[in-house]
Amino acid sequence: MSVFLDLLVSTLTQGLIYALLSYGIFITYKILDFPDLSVDGSFPLGAAVSAVLLVKGMNPYLTLVVAMLVGALAGLVTGVIHVRFKVRDLLAGIITMTALFSINLQIAGSNLAVDRSIDTIFTGKPVMALFGNLSLMHRKLVVALILAILFKIILDLFFKTKCGMLLRATGNNATVVTSLAVDQGRMKILGLVIANALVALCGAVVCHEQRSFSSTMGTGQMVFGLATVIIGTTLFRRMSFVKGTTCAVCGSIIYKICIQVAISLGLPANLLKLVTAVLFLVILILGNANRGKVKKHA
Amino acid sequence: MKKLISVIVAAMMILTLTASAFAAPVIGINQYGEHGSLDNCREGFIQGLLDAGLVEGEDFEIKYENAGFDNAIASQIAQNFSANNVAIMCAIATPSATACFAAAEDKDIPVVFTAITDPVEAKLVDGNVTGTSDKLPVEAQLDLIRKLQPDADTIGIIYTTSEPNSVSAIAEYQEKGPEYGFAIEAVGVTAQSEVTQAADTLIGKGVDCFSNLTDNNVVGVLSSILEKTDEAGIPIYGSEVEQVKLGCIAAAGIDYIQLGRQTGMMAAKILTGEASAYDMPYETISEYGIYVNSEALASFGIELPADIAEKAIESSEG
Repeated sequence: MSVFLDLLVSTLTQGLIYALLSYGIFITYKILDFPDLSVDGSFPLGAAVSAVLLVKGMNPYLTLVVAMLVGALAGLVTGVIHVRFKVRDLLAGIITMTALFSINLQIAGSNLAVDRSIDTIFTGKPVMALFGNLSLMHRKLVVALILAILFKIILDLFFKTKCGMLLRATGNNATVVTSLAVDQGRMKILGLVIANALVALCGAVVCHEQRSFSSTMGTGQMVFGLATVIIGTTLFRRMSFVKGTTCAVCGSIIYKICIQVAISLGLPANLLKLVTAVLFLVILILGNANRGKVKKHA
Repeated sequence: MKKLISVIVAAMMILTLTASAFAAPVIGINQYGEHGSLDNCREGFIQGLLDAGLVEGEDFEIKYENAGFDNAIASQIAQNFSANNVAIMCAIATPSATACFAAAEDKDIPVVFTAITDPVEAKLVDGNVTGTSDKLPVEAQLDLIRKLQPDADTIGIIYTTSEPNSVSAIAEYQEKGPEYGFAIEAVGVTAQSEVTQAADTLIGKGVDCFSNLTDNNVVGVLSSILEKTDEAGIPIYGSEVEQVKLGCIAAAGIDYIQLGRQTGMMAAKILTGEASAYDMPYETISEYGIYVNSEALASFGIELPADIAEKAIESSEG
């Protein structure tokens, strides 16, 4: 049983950490209908910035803030390229992603490891003071949980403000936004800025957790994020009271569980991705089947 | 939704039950991806355990997973090993080692790595961790090229700018090259699709030969580079035996099976309690082999000097 609990704790931790990225993709893909490929670059960007600052001795929690700011800047670049220079959404993201690959290497020098003697957000003073008696594994879960909930609350509150409403309207019904004399291009940029700040934050947290930055860690993050958002929103499609951010968290956790189940199955190692894909399919079909039943009853 | 959650939970519980069926101590192998050299490391590692007198099924069980070159999956594999309380984690290539070292911290599970160029830089030196490094014997390679091509001036090298192993090898080439009378023409790429273009660039610059690193992107398309260089009449030197088999004329390089075997012996010592990973320093392979492909050599009209022919290992396929 302890094996099961340990697996659950580490898988939940991964799911909650990566939920930060899912929030970002939720904003760009679901709200703005913008396939933002800059994610593959801003994720390692957050990690690179955080790793360098950690090694330089900055307060670990402060490195998260800096990572978010730098990520926001990356989102701003994609937004400006798309809105001001009228470059297509996909291409704008690809340009930023490609540029960030070099920039990340410039920032970090090369792949970078953070020594165990350096405190991360999981071993920093405030966390140790509050949860010092927990094991590292459980502390990681607690910190990931706090981050995921904190940013969920912030986003949920933000979506209720006037600015948040306008952002949501930009994707749904752009004419409304324009009729309110608000520049919808500006709203798109705002969405990209917030989303990439979250993605970079996620990259930074992963860097703290793994104690390393590698330039290739961003590959496939956009696809991962899309999958989590789609899994989450499909499952809760009939339950309109469930917030988008909740869908993102659940999607991320389910994704990580699928991979862990595939690993635990102990099939030949090269089948891992195939098994993961089949699990996704099963979940999506189950989700759709549930939906059908509800319809019949109604 | 409830049904779905219960299905997932039930599935995970069944899995954990089957997982605990192992009788012998489990060695979890976390391999970063499927790749000739890395596979050789794994095979060698298991051989090394057997060479040390251990019996598979009695003294140890192997649980092998590969991450398909995905860092996030490498870390979930490592967490799976940690949850299953494996006796030792064996990590092949740097991202897997980093992931294992992070996941093993809490339970203090020993991590044994291989195929890492610079364990110091990767911060895999202090703690319950040890292993072997696959640093290239750059000077031996330069010496070999000088002996086979006494008139050569420039060596062309293609490398991936994001692979730290390649970057540090290039730095060493550029530092040591002039000592052997070579100028180094290095072309950096960021993706595998750019490698053949880079090869054209180097051919255009008129380099006298190519030298390969253990760069994954470059090695992956080595055959198509060889086609171009053979046509242009430029020989390529490899960095390990598999590359010579493909058609590189020669290599002063590492035998990854041997490297893996050395790593397996270290793991055996930890498993039997003879030594602790805390006090074992990481090892580099002390002997490198000289591998030659006589067919390829003949096609370039290069003859092996007697002193090299003596210790060279013929590695042409068929």
